[in-house]
Amino acid sequence: MSNSELLLARSGRAGQPPAPAPFPARRDGSPTPSRRLAATRRALTNAAMVGPALAAIVLFVLVPIGVAGYLSLTDWDGFSTPDFVGLHNYTKMLGDAEVRSAALNTVIIAGIGTALCNGLGLGLAMLLNGAGRGKALVRGLLFYPYIIGAVIIGFLWSAILGPSGAVNSALTSLGHQPLPFLSDPHWALGSLVFVVVWSILGVNVVLYLAGLQTIPESLLEAARVDGATPWQTFRTVYLPLLAPSITVNIVLVLVQLLRVYDQVLALTNGGPAGTTETVAFQILSSSFRRYDLGYGSAESIALMIVVGVLATAITLLRSRSEKAVQS
Amino acid sequence: VTTAGLTATKGSIAEGATGSSVGRPRRSLTRAAKTIALAPFVIVMIVPLYLLVVNAFKSNDDIAVRPFSAEPKLLSGSHLWAVVTSPDYNLLAAIGLTTFFVVVVNVLSLLLSGPAAYVIARGSGIRNRLLLLVFLVGLFIPTQALVIPVIYVLRYLGLMGTIPGFLLYETTLTLPVSMFLYVGYIASIPRELDEAAQLDGAGRVRTFWTVIFPLMKPVVVTAIILHTIGVWTDFVTPQIILGPGSGLYTVMTGVYAAIGLHTTDLSIVYPNLLLAVTPVLVFFVLMQKRIVGGLTAGATKG
Repeated sequence: MSNSELLLARSGRAGQPPAPAPFPARRDGSPTPSRRLAATRRALTNAAMVGPALAAIVLFVLVPIGVAGYLSLTDWDGFSTPDFVGLHNYTKMLGDAEVRSAALNTVIIAGIGTALCNGLGLGLAMLLNGAGRGKALVRGLLFYPYIIGAVIIGFLWSAILGPSGAVNSALTSLGHQPLPFLSDPHWALGSLVFVVVWSILGVNVVLYLAGLQTIPESLLEAARVDGATPWQTFRTVYLPLLAPSITVNIVLVLVQLLRVYDQVLALTNGGPAGTTETVAFQILSSSFRRYDLGYGSAESIALMIVVGVLATAITLLRSRSEKAVQS
Repeated sequence: VTTAGLTATKGSIAEGATGSSVGRPRRSLTRAAKTIALAPFVIVMIVPLYLLVVNAFKSNDDIAVRPFSAEPKLLSGSHLWAVVTSPDYNLLAAIGLTTFFVVVVNVLSLLLSGPAAYVIARGSGIRNRLLLLVFLVGLFIPTQALVIPVIYVLRYLGLMGTIPGFLLYETTLTLPVSMFLYVGYIASIPRELDEAAQLDGAGRVRTFWTVIFPLMKPVVVTAIILHTIGVWTDFVTPQIILGPGSGLYTVMTGVYAAIGLHTTDLSIVYPNLLLAVTPVLVFFVLMQKRIVGGLTAGATKG
């Protein structure tokens, strides 16, 4: 009631009596022509309000998913008319060593990256929880990579870790051998994981900090009174109450890392010799370089399925464990 | 695991040093342990930023030999100037174009998702839930996997390689997040407001824009911040839809065009990167609280 008064006051009609309802009240007898007209008008207005947004999603998300399915059965080169080739792209994909290596790299990056971002993110959030200028400054420092762009981050670290980069220059001047951060396959994959974690860790810290705000002070006080050790408090108070935050963070990082592309392009360009290519890198760089977009579409479909299944599975599993904790 | 380690270390250092559980020494020791645990992270975050700023003013040889030095005699603004006047791409034009894209995408996104979110939030039943689900599917579709079929669709519409085509697709990419945020927020606004407006004779569209929309300011700011960062940092969409041959560069594709060719010449790399991050870092410093708040809301609401 007070809300509508507020509204009336706002529109400058506070003193006037409310205007009569434009439509007769619902639930009385059979529909009159004017009521049916009003219902139709309402439905049309609704359609006009949802329509444009729905059209955009259908045209640029749903239709493309279907188109990807169709193109994955063709040999489309990006220009000419696609020719139907059946399941050829999929069978080829199963035996393709490059795809296997890209899939393995993606699994390594996503697996280690998700573990590190969540472990370190939660740890840092615990350390940075609370007021204080120093803490706010560190939070800002951890967060800035999120807004400067993955391509920029990739180039920046390639300038720092490259053969003549800052780190190797420092190592040489200290009498050390330079390290092959980007030129040895294993080092390069490690560098990639490091850079990816470096660039999104701040987001996890911020999200875990938000989760920590939801923990009631009374529970921490109770743990203190009971003489719980920090580890016990963490296990019995923090961890169960942070369960929803943990789910959100795992899904977010995983979905992001399974499609990692920009950092790879700018940091290693998939090298040395294609050893750090990811699935997204294969889809974009490789299919455009080879003009084999039908094959790229098959890889796209595979990636969409993996991401969709994993995101759904984790959400379901975690929500079950969240419920188990609550009961 | 890490947290456990840190917490355990924190506890044992404090315990061992004081012997008793009371008093200030324990507290300041805990604080010291925290600072020591944070130090490596602070260093790893600051050093790249420092190198980025300092080396943007140095010659290629000085960057290679003394990357950490900030001696005034090594520094000169000529490398930055060379990038501003570079023939590879027009940096100022790229900043202007990207800003234009950011503004148009935000306006279009709001015009499309606002009314749609209102109808879905006020409706009930399975049809509305399904409708919302259609929008939310977009949250989990990897854009890199979508781009090839989108080329096909845009080519069919005659919009491939055009600014309208790019803007339409980029706007669509913002809709899932907008819908997610707006539907949740509008659902928390009492329906009496709508009814009162309708008693005043306002239609659905007017009710939304004049009554509901003004109340949505916090969530609209959140969406604008997320989309601004999203459009500014997007590399794949402009690179592929506008294409490197079009001469239309955003900051990201422009930096890629300039650096992709010269990665060995660090006196071109660093100034390009510095100029590309300066506008967003200014935005970040000014808006830090809202950015962090917006991101949190974006990931946890609903």
